[in-house]
Amino acid sequence: MNPFSPSTHLLLVILAPLVGALAAWLLGSRGLAAVRQSAAVTTLVTLFLAAWLVARYLASPEAAAGSPFGVSEAAWLVDGPLDIRLGLGLDGLSLWLFALSALLSVTAVMVSWEAVREKTVGFYALLLVLEAAMLGVFAARDVILFYVFFEFTLVPLFFLIGIWGHDDRRRAAVKFFIYTLAGSVLAFLGLLTIVLWNAAHTGTLSFDIATLTAGLAAHPLPMDARGGWLQWWVFLALFAGFAVKVPIVPFHTWLPLAHVEAPTGGSVDLAGVLLKIGIYGFLRFSLPMLPEATAAAAPWIFGLGVVGILYGALVALAQTDLKRLIAYSSVSHMGYCVMGLAALEPVAVEGATLQLVNHGLSAAGLFALVGMIYERYHTRSIANLGGIAARAPWLTVMFMLFTFSSIGLPGLNGFVGEFMILIGSFQRAWGGVSAAWRPAYLAMAVSAVAGVVLGAWYMLWAVERVFFGPSREPPHDHGGHEAPAAAHAHADGHGASHGHGDGHGHGAPAVPTDDLRWYEWLAVAPPAALALWIGLFPATFLAPSAAAVRSAMAPGAAALAARMEAGDAVTARLPAPPPLTAHLDPIP
Amino acid sequence: MSLSISHLVVLVPLLPLLGAIATVLLGRRLGPRAHLPALAGIGAAAAVAALVLLGTAADVRGGHGEPSRPVEVITTLWNWATVADAGVADTASGTPLGGAATATAPFSIPVSLRVDPLTATLLVIITGVGLLVAIYSIGYMHGDPGYPRFFALVAMFVFSMSMLVAASNFLLVYVFWEAVGACSYLLIGFWYSKPQAARAAKKAFLVNRVGDFGLAIATFLLWMTYGTLDFHDTYTADGTIVPGILGQTRLSDAAGYVGGAVGTAICLLMLLAACGKSAQVPLHVWLPDAMEGPTPASALIHAATMVTAGVYLVTRSAPLFIGCPGALTVVSIVGATTALVAALIATVQNDLKRVLAYSTISQLGYMFAALGTGTMLGFTAAIFHLVTHAFFKALLFLGAGSVMHAMGGVIDMRRFGGLRQLMPVTALTFVIGAAALAGVVPFAGFFSKDEILAALHSKAHPAAHASDHAEVRVAGGALPDAAAGPFRAASYRSDAAPRGAAGDAVGLDALDRPATFQWLYWMSLFTAGLTAFYTFRAVFMTFTGPLRVPEEAGHHAHESPREMTGPLMVLAVLSAGAGLVLFVTDALGRFLAATPSLSAPAIVATAVPHAFHLDLAIQGTLAAAIGIAVAAIGHYGRRSDSATTARWLGPLGPILANTFYFDALYRVAIVKPLEALALVAALVDRYVVDAAVDAIGRVPGTWGAVARRLQSGLLQRYALAGVVGVLAIVLALAWQLRP
Repeated sequence: MNPFSPSTHLLLVILAPLVGALAAWLLGSRGLAAVRQSAAVTTLVTLFLAAWLVARYLASPEAAAGSPFGVSEAAWLVDGPLDIRLGLGLDGLSLWLFALSALLSVTAVMVSWEAVREKTVGFYALLLVLEAAMLGVFAARDVILFYVFFEFTLVPLFFLIGIWGHDDRRRAAVKFFIYTLAGSVLAFLGLLTIVLWNAAHTGTLSFDIATLTAGLAAHPLPMDARGGWLQWWVFLALFAGFAVKVPIVPFHTWLPLAHVEAPTGGSVDLAGVLLKIGIYGFLRFSLPMLPEATAAAAPWIFGLGVVGILYGALVALAQTDLKRLIAYSSVSHMGYCVMGLAALEPVAVEGATLQLVNHGLSAAGLFALVGMIYERYHTRSIANLGGIAARAPWLTVMFMLFTFSSIGLPGLNGFVGEFMILIGSFQRAWGGVSAAWRPAYLAMAVSAVAGVVLGAWYMLWAVERVFFGPSREPPHDHGGHEAPAAAHAHADGHGASHGHGDGHGHGAPAVPTDDLRWYEWLAVAPPAALALWIGLFPATFLAPSAAAVRSAMAPGAAALAARMEAGDAVTARLPAPPPLTAHLDPIP
Repeated sequence: MSLSISHLVVLVPLLPLLGAIATVLLGRRLGPRAHLPALAGIGAAAAVAALVLLGTAADVRGGHGEPSRPVEVITTLWNWATVADAGVADTASGTPLGGAATATAPFSIPVSLRVDPLTATLLVIITGVGLLVAIYSIGYMHGDPGYPRFFALVAMFVFSMSMLVAASNFLLVYVFWEAVGACSYLLIGFWYSKPQAARAAKKAFLVNRVGDFGLAIATFLLWMTYGTLDFHDTYTADGTIVPGILGQTRLSDAAGYVGGAVGTAICLLMLLAACGKSAQVPLHVWLPDAMEGPTPASALIHAATMVTAGVYLVTRSAPLFIGCPGALTVVSIVGATTALVAALIATVQNDLKRVLAYSTISQLGYMFAALGTGTMLGFTAAIFHLVTHAFFKALLFLGAGSVMHAMGGVIDMRRFGGLRQLMPVTALTFVIGAAALAGVVPFAGFFSKDEILAALHSKAHPAAHASDHAEVRVAGGALPDAAAGPFRAASYRSDAAPRGAAGDAVGLDALDRPATFQWLYWMSLFTAGLTAFYTFRAVFMTFTGPLRVPEEAGHHAHESPREMTGPLMVLAVLSAGAGLVLFVTDALGRFLAATPSLSAPAIVATAVPHAFHLDLAIQGTLAAAIGIAVAAIGHYGRRSDSATTARWLGPLGPILANTFYFDALYRVAIVKPLEALALVAALVDRYVVDAAVDAIGRVPGTWGAVARRLQSGLLQRYALAGVVGVLAIVLALAWQLRP
């Protein structure tokens, strides 16, 4: 039934968008319709291939064992001790993020359908290159390859923001690029140190991540004064790269700027996938390879996560621009992921891993819908919007669904991750830290729960202002009362079938104030369906990544326990009570 | 029988859910008949719920002569989430804590439904009142542009609420706790174009979120204390049992529950949650505003069912509360205070729906006051009052809706009067509901309120009731501070601090003494008088006197259509007779006693023979009579409109008119400071954090004098240079390492 081997299949998924980009470029002369149609077909085909690959993975023996799937290794530079192979493969850590990249690329194309009308060839080609890079970064099993894809995600997005962005796009693009590049160069130096340390002990200059993980476990980087605190420095270097990417407060200020200025398609990819690479990096590299340093930093990162939750929520509360508000909500929500990661408890880390996907879906959905609102009203100012529910009920329904997902309403995906992160964090705070840390940890965990209230506050405030209340005529809409109806007819006549042909020469495409159209449905319906699915059956999504997450966090968790034990040595312990189960007769 | 019950209980929530989905899919096509799927779903669910109730009753009777044999049926649908070995061995201590052979506990959340007497009772109330409200809404919502949306939401609510009371896991309770909140949010904001409605919806959700915050932390603490979140015992593959928090195993174990600081904290956090959902002081502020929603929704959600979720939660968790007498007493204090405060506010309201809203808050306060006694009588009285209140308050709300419908949307009692001539059915049924609410013999409210007063009285005067039974109160704090959870609980004990913290709990426990309950008893009795006053004030203002109709009503002010008066009549019969029947037969009390949660030895020990307390009944009736008399005198002396009442109230007037300044206090103490903090955070973000980044970013630029030539300004070239440089380092190092 399977025409090609898993490794070929994986390679095809990554190459498909590149082929699509080439096709878009070749079709450039045939006009907008051909270009965007080819981009849509490409992303849909890629999604199909990726979903198929995921299904194959789930059915494979590798999934049960938690080992990588679809591994391919092309020798790139193998000479003497030098052993650089271009390895690709999927495992439990990367599986859902890989699939998410393919899914949200469809959304990114669909939200650009009418919004992007200038230099469309370049736009769609870059969007597809970005997709390939996102897929690649999660599939890479090799440090060099990971880093190449990691950097490669920056370049297309830099141009997407810088060319197709809004008024302040150049500043936003440069800031985004320099900030993340500065971080990632440091991270690369850290990764190289790991490679060289491993080489010094094994004699092979291997860049293979699995080999390095095993090597570092056998020969950990020194974490004491005699060894120059090398592990600590490497950890900080990686932290610089990944913390900016997440972003962890206070390294977040590039994000709101980039989001506000980015075209909607760029925002979807940025919020949906690119932010996840930071946490993924921590899981892939810092936790398994640098456990002692991770454990030493864990309380502080945990704290930064909580600060991020509250700070992001508070700043979001003060925003007047809807897109900026959602950007800050991303900061707040990524704080939960950071917190869950740093809790180093199984429930919390698995929750954080799932929350990456959850936030990807809800943030991408919200950004997509904000883009649709902007196309209709040419404003994102919360004060100038109002009463959209009366005009665009389905747009409202979808926005509320993603809002509910984002504020962690049970039954939707956001709740699952948030709840697991918080329960794991409480578990850590309750019994997993030394007596000296316990009050601080408990206070942080309780504050994080309070963030759930704040999160509901700013999102529902925005919903109330933008969607409810009396209908407001947007300032740019000079059509009077007949406008919506007239524009509606106009749209149905042209937009759906051959949207490019209705010849608005003036810059503002006259997308009318009607409800969701077919390409907009295609953008938001898949993430919405998945949000519901994960919310109802999270076990389906948790199980495939459990083993990989567990083995990634185990060294860090053990190191943290050892540290806390050392800190706890002074605390007298009361004898443990007999367990309840001991004096119960099992009922047959 | 039990097999079929386990199937049927799935149908109760499932049918309304299907109804909701069908309404969403077909709503537009069905047009004016969009109520059909929802109505069919809720109606079928009501029938199934009745079967479940009968089946459970048969099960309870099955054990002859053993009245409190606990009955529960568990159905597990699917496993929501599982994390194996979540409770990793506490390596901080070097040894697995708890001494158990398995120091690991899976984090496992099965989607399990349960049936026991408490659940079966509430399922019938939810689906039954839901059905009546849905029928009524056919008339009330007729012609509304959101007609299908309304029925979809009502069906969705019935689904969520049924799941809430049928869930057998604290996490699932939390799930549907929030889900009913979301339905409530969407129904309060149903007429979203009205800014007040949108604001009220948001307020309701946020205030409830504060309560949910408590429930979330309580759930976390339960997980860490007991190592499971299931109510029921579960059997693992190898035959060992994992004792559920409210399972038979733990219930039969005297040392099964944690008291002290942790236990009290769990109970108080649950109480916070209950305060949010059940609109108790200080989180009651959302319910009056929730009246912006359609009246049938107010009747179903904000009077009869959802707001009683807090009462359900406390009853369900009774074994947890019983070991924390301090927390229990706080429940009573909160309840009695709420009852009094809300009743006082209700006396000066002129909006008929708001009178009823404050009355709901007040009556829920009664239920909490009863729960806080921690006795079998208290718990069953609370549920008894929950049932009768569901009937008569739904009746009153639907009656108010009928008035509003006829008056063209006007609900201010000062603008109409004498409506008994215009709408006789509404007037008659409303008076029956009012009599039940006021506690007039022999209407439903009289009996349930009497039981609540009896429960409070027995705590206030243990000696006087000593003849009823051997032991009135559980010895305060007698339950050991045993950490029964398999792993983490012990770690809390390993700390010296909780010993000190346990002192707090003891401090709270000191509240649990007869003097406290004497206060609460008299407060409740006074509230009973107030209740009768404001209820009949509303009746007199609305239905008696010369006919007055506002101009909004137009010329077609008339009695409501049959689909609206029908449910009114059914509810009127129930409001009139249900109390008497349930009291005389004591069917509900005996049935509820078979609920596992109420079969804990400490609760069973407080059971008293069923009795009619004549002295208390006389006191309660006297209070009601005085209240009605004052209302009548006030009305016929033309003193019940607000201006004269305010003068009569003196300094209390402005306090009541401003509803004890709760909203103002929250605005000044919480909302404004947080908004200011948000603004400060936004400014800091821009002018401190971001400015610092920009400043650092400019540093390389200042070196530029030297390196200007290198700065082509082309970003790609920088990136390329970076990558090339790094690769050069790598290769150089690699060359070094060549053997």
